[in-house]
Amino acid sequence: MSGTRLIRILWQGTFLVLFLGLLAALAAGDPRAFRSGIFHEADPLSASSLAVADGGFPVALLLGAALLLLTLVFGRFFCGWICPLGTLQQLSSWLLTPRSRRESLEVNRLRPWHAWKYALLAFLLALALLGSTQTGLLDPLSLAARGLASGVWPALFRRPAVPGGILAALLLLAVLLASRWVPRFFCRALCPLGALLGVFGRFALFRIDRGKITCTDCRLCTFACQGGDEPLGTHRPGECMVCLACLDSCPEHALRYRFVAAQPARPARPDLGRRVLVGSALLGVAAGPLLRASGGGREEAHPRLVRPPGAVGEDEFLDRCVKCLLCGATCPTGAIQPALAVAGVEGFWTPVVVPRRGGCEFACTRCGEVCPTGAILPLTAARKTGYDGAPPVRIGTAFLDRGRCLPWANQIPCIVCEEMCPTDPKAITVAAVEERRADGTAVRLQQPRVEPVRCVGCGICENRCPVGEEAAIRVSSVGETRNPLNRMVLGS
Amino acid sequence: MSGRDRDRATGAGGVAETGGEPRIGRREAALRISQAALAGAAVAGGAAFFAGRATASADAPAVPDWRVQAAGPAARVHAARGDDPARNVRRVLAALGGMEAFVRKGDLVLVKPNVGWDRLPEQAANTDPQVVAEIVRACRAAGAGKVVVADLSCNDPQRCFARSGIRAAAEEAGAEVLDARQLRMVPASIPGSAAGLEVFEPLLRAARVINVPVAKHHGLSRATLGMKNWFGVLGKGRSRLHQDIDRTVAELGAVFRPTLTVIDATRVLLGNGPQGGSLDDVRAVGAVCAGVDPVLCEAWGAAQLSLRPSDLGFIGEAERRGLGKSDVALVRELGKA
Repeated sequence: MSGTRLIRILWQGTFLVLFLGLLAALAAGDPRAFRSGIFHEADPLSASSLAVADGGFPVALLLGAALLLLTLVFGRFFCGWICPLGTLQQLSSWLLTPRSRRESLEVNRLRPWHAWKYALLAFLLALALLGSTQTGLLDPLSLAARGLASGVWPALFRRPAVPGGILAALLLLAVLLASRWVPRFFCRALCPLGALLGVFGRFALFRIDRGKITCTDCRLCTFACQGGDEPLGTHRPGECMVCLACLDSCPEHALRYRFVAAQPARPARPDLGRRVLVGSALLGVAAGPLLRASGGGREEAHPRLVRPPGAVGEDEFLDRCVKCLLCGATCPTGAIQPALAVAGVEGFWTPVVVPRRGGCEFACTRCGEVCPTGAILPLTAARKTGYDGAPPVRIGTAFLDRGRCLPWANQIPCIVCEEMCPTDPKAITVAAVEERRADGTAVRLQQPRVEPVRCVGCGICENRCPVGEEAAIRVSSVGETRNPLNRMVLGS
Repeated sequence: MSGRDRDRATGAGGVAETGGEPRIGRREAALRISQAALAGAAVAGGAAFFAGRATASADAPAVPDWRVQAAGPAARVHAARGDDPARNVRRVLAALGGMEAFVRKGDLVLVKPNVGWDRLPEQAANTDPQVVAEIVRACRAAGAGKVVVADLSCNDPQRCFARSGIRAAAEEAGAEVLDARQLRMVPASIPGSAAGLEVFEPLLRAARVINVPVAKHHGLSRATLGMKNWFGVLGKGRSRLHQDIDRTVAELGAVFRPTLTVIDATRVLLGNGPQGGSLDDVRAVGAVCAGVDPVLCEAWGAAQLSLRPSDLGFIGEAERRGLGKSDVALVRELGKA
């Protein structure tokens, strides 16, 4: 193994371990111990989408801009050396496929469909312009984090299944499996982050340079080429992932990765008709209103659309959320889940609180601490609980279903919701009554009531309610702090 | 020579043919073997995964009886008062004849405090960390092989064990502290209303069990003490037990027979129990009692909350079942120090 290859593999391995380690540490403990969202903070795709959608540069994603500048100098080194999803694909391609040299040459050629990703990028950015950030669906960092944290993790560690997470894991598996047939198929054809880096990588100062005199046109450089960028022919720096495999495979040492002062008169363009690009962008513009028409929480609050504490208003939330689900990974009770339909098509895979799965811990502020894009703002425990004197942060209000509640409906004593209610004074109080059962015996019951002004919507009552499948007390989003229009009580 | 022929000649393509006989190259063989191994591992892993999901069966192990034969002062319940919780514990244990009377060398001792809530010690919703730590130290000094402190909290276990101060104090005293994230749930054969519920695994392995509840108010049963503290060893479904709480608490007292009960009344919660929150509901009592009679400990704990044993239905129920006596006068008060 050559030195370059060894260094690259070590580098890729380090970043993969770092990525997985941060996710695991996030699930295990205190997010403040690590900068858990560092990969996502350095994501220029999120930065661009947020900048376009929100109309201002997201300061939290400053590292993303730095990565773009570095790409202008070194090309798409991120794809070949850092991206954990790229590394995983390279690994699966290496594991699953014994290819003959001829097959490798064939499969690593530049193909017209490599240009799909640019059309996709144009589509997603146009969509962002209309205020809907959907880059997270295919952003490799979000895709990997979401699939692992909300799909693979629960399955491996026998946590309760997460329906939206299983779909996320399936997408991740599909991406890895695709490498069985075409190495890094996702990177080459679909990755919007790769496309964005490719747009900048075209102008890279450092690039593969072929010594034309020594080259014998043997095509061995294409043997292990990750990007399918034709180091032999008209090299495409925009497609090149700087894996440097071609350097090693060249028997004549004709290839170098170095500073090329004289840029070609016109950088080799990705093969994409201007028409397709404009068409994709227009499609994005058209898709925006369509997505909104599908329902969700923008126009009208949805009772079960309970967002994590600290979440910004729904319009801004959909601008900012990149669907990485780090919030869900760190949630100690597993309450935060990737939405399926509750947030509309637009809000697919955005985080929602599912109280039946877990209550929102009263003084816990982990989700806001890890959110890389400010869709969920960081809170202090004193602020969230209202112990600082201001009203607490509410995510909804609990409502009793007297038709299912044991003391109300069935004359069976129970006070679990009251016992669990964490506010001080409690939002759930009980009133004692003496009732007579059908057989004439007397029974003393404590019937619960919710005081909506005190309730923060944490949902621990719903979570612990002993009435099976559907609880007799349920949280709905009304009263949530983030939406002043979603109110019920006068003056609240 | 075409490209295909060259590939064949070099054998780089894996399956090389010589003289019409297909032969497998080393690389191809290695790959196929690893693929087969991966597939095998996946199947085995899947099988193990689903095998582990077997539901509670009829032959689930019974809950052991952890009581020891006690006579003389060791058979009584002693109570000590004073500002230093650790000292109170040392005094009651000394009056009982030392922890050596209850713990043998090499025993696995399970200490079961109440770590139910994400609250500070001052809020009196959990057992005082100094009381827990002192019991751990006493067990270690008596030669216990291992001391495990475990509870299944109502709030996030990490927060509960950190904020209650119990993780830090017990680990410092030499215990292994396990919360819901580390505890494996296993089926156990429990008679009565709690049938079918799972318990945490170290409970069934422990040779000695010390129940260390805090005395506090409870909205349904009026007080939560030692027998109610067994809710914390039970898994999913335990909230159903509230429907007939006096009976179910007494039933749990009949199922779980601890070596020793230590009731922490360093601070007691008089309202908004069992989780409290407001310091207005907390009263500093500065007392601890310990003994082998769980019902008598229960009665003493009720007294610290200004309740009579007859106020609490589960005490009478437990006495009727012969689990102990409820006459507080039988408790030997060691006085203030």
